[in-house]
Amino acid sequence: MAAAQDSSIMTKRRPVKIIRPPSFSIAGFLRDFKGLWLYKDLLYTLSAHRVKVRYKQSVLGIAWAVLQPLSLMLIYTLVFAVFARIPTGGTPYPVMAFTGLLLWTLFSTALTSSTNGLVSHAHLVTKVYFPREILPLTYVVAALFDFAIAALLLAALMVYYHVAPTINLLYAIPIVLILTCFVTAMSLAFSALQVRFRDVGVAMPLLLQLWMFATPVVYPLSAVPQRFQSLYSLNPMVGVVDSFRTVVLNGTAPDLHGLGISAILSIVLLPACYIYFKHVEATLADVI
Amino acid sequence: MIDLSFNRVSKRYRIRHESEETASRHPLIRKWNALWTHPEDFWAVRDVSFDVERGEALGIIGHNGAGKSTILKLLSNITTPTAGEIRINGRLAALIEVGSGFHPELTGRENIYLNGAILGMARSEITKKLESIIEFAGVRQFIDTPVKRFSSGMYVRLGFSIAAHLEPDILLLDEVLAVGDASFQKKCLDRISELKEAGTTIVFISHDLRAVERLCQRVLLLKRGQIVMNGPAKEVIAAYQNDATLSSESVEVHKRGETKEVEIRTLSFLNDNGQMNPVFKTGKPLIARIDFDVHEAVNDAVFSVLLFTSDGESHCELTTEFSRDSLSLQRGKGSIEFRTDELGLLPGVYFTSVHVQQRGAQDVIHYQYKSTTLRVDFDRVVRGNFFLPHDWQVSQVESDEVVELEVQNK
Repeated sequence: MAAAQDSSIMTKRRPVKIIRPPSFSIAGFLRDFKGLWLYKDLLYTLSAHRVKVRYKQSVLGIAWAVLQPLSLMLIYTLVFAVFARIPTGGTPYPVMAFTGLLLWTLFSTALTSSTNGLVSHAHLVTKVYFPREILPLTYVVAALFDFAIAALLLAALMVYYHVAPTINLLYAIPIVLILTCFVTAMSLAFSALQVRFRDVGVAMPLLLQLWMFATPVVYPLSAVPQRFQSLYSLNPMVGVVDSFRTVVLNGTAPDLHGLGISAILSIVLLPACYIYFKHVEATLADVI
Repeated sequence: MIDLSFNRVSKRYRIRHESEETASRHPLIRKWNALWTHPEDFWAVRDVSFDVERGEALGIIGHNGAGKSTILKLLSNITTPTAGEIRINGRLAALIEVGSGFHPELTGRENIYLNGAILGMARSEITKKLESIIEFAGVRQFIDTPVKRFSSGMYVRLGFSIAAHLEPDILLLDEVLAVGDASFQKKCLDRISELKEAGTTIVFISHDLRAVERLCQRVLLLKRGQIVMNGPAKEVIAAYQNDATLSSESVEVHKRGETKEVEIRTLSFLNDNGQMNPVFKTGKPLIARIDFDVHEAVNDAVFSVLLFTSDGESHCELTTEFSRDSLSLQRGKGSIEFRTDELGLLPGVYFTSVHVQQRGAQDVIHYQYKSTTLRVDFDRVVRGNFFLPHDWQVSQVESDEVVELEVQNK
């Protein structure tokens, strides 16, 4: 072993690392981003383990990924379609609610679990270095995995309710990408905030509850009065959920105005949140 | 070739003090009060510069709070410096607390991947070394069992095995050698020596002076966040041992009250044959001898010898205090010997203080601090915190007769 090592030390190219006091620069930002790439194996391994651990020793296992949005769909169907009878413009309520809940579950699961992601790994964070953003990112990846499983149920529901997909279904790909961007930005920001203010984690269930009702998840966008619409659509989740529903259920092109707002906000927020996260990371081990 | 350099590095922590009267149970009131108190700066590391050559093993020693762990955290990039620059030339790995990255629900195999990735190994690299890691840890039979069902020994072995298969250019070692039993520590040290021979640069931060001396050529001595000495291991360690370990105030307090009717001349350690300063080993006899002069007769005197660890914590005591016989001292010279047949101390260096006192009196008659050190060398394998002298006896039931054996463990 020693001989093999000897030769590798001679020939291996050595990375040079310089550690300086934290300060913001574009070059530093790009370096952080490049550093993340070096740790892609850790991101993969940790994310895979998130998924495995979540369903270990549970009898239903991976079925939970489907059960969660499904049971919510049944409850909301009971409340809004049987008791309250809100108009859905011809679409069967259960499938309408499910499209919303599918995206919302992705958003809320990723955000809830990643918010606590840094704090719950304090033992690692104070012992060994790796780019800390990997921790919240793994929760986003795990939530995307659950999303993919639950999307199979959506396909089944579409068959059951005779909703035929059209070529516009392809829009779903950029829509999910925008959502991923947005939830990543939020996960970075909230997990970093949680380090200093544990209030964030406590307030999270309430915040998500309010946020869900400010998003057309269990009701259609058309149910929102016109005069609230411009303010309402500043919520990036509105454009995402509504567009997704349009392309999946109606088979028409999405409202590019609403989706555009979501896209622009997500694209601006992601680097901003990443910079904030990196700023917190510099003194993370001293504070956590 | 320089692998690692610290260039005027400082690290500041801000500490907020909460005064008695502003302390409140309510967190909001506490937060509000905190706004009006000025934080105090604490420089854990101040203006530290040093270089480590390729293939060199550098030891860093110092008392608790001298800045050792801060340097380790800065080097491993867990925290960032307040000022200065650290340059690291090569892949650096820290042999951290073994197994701290384990997930209890995952199997041994899965944890190897997880822990390896956390330590910075690529998946392909782990796959390549998987067999060797399992072999080294000796857990093949249980490798597909969740680690929560592992015994603590298996847990530690697997954790170390993963870390031992890192092939870094620069290896950071903390108190890793302090965990596990003696045979595990030996395995650990052997592997580190192997890496060292292969040309790995090593930075070793420890309280264990013997281990530092064995592994490192050069040692830095830190005091209150600054380097006070940088030189060959033997010299720096000797200087550190002679440096007052106890805070000087507490020594002063004892010194001030001295009445000096009796003067302690020397404290010496002897072996069974009366030989001075031989090699002492755990489980072997030890005699501690105090030579003294009596200037004025003293009734009911008490002699005590205290042994300290290198951190200045008192470790154990030899004393006449609890004997029923009172000890009266006449004018002239004298000596007193404390004897143990089986030394319970583990290998290490111990500092001493000796004092003589009148029973129940506030002040000491004479106090001597650090006149001698006691060095216990490594001999037999002792697991745990101290060696407990013991015998053993076995009884077996064999068909219908009882066989009794009595063995002395000497």
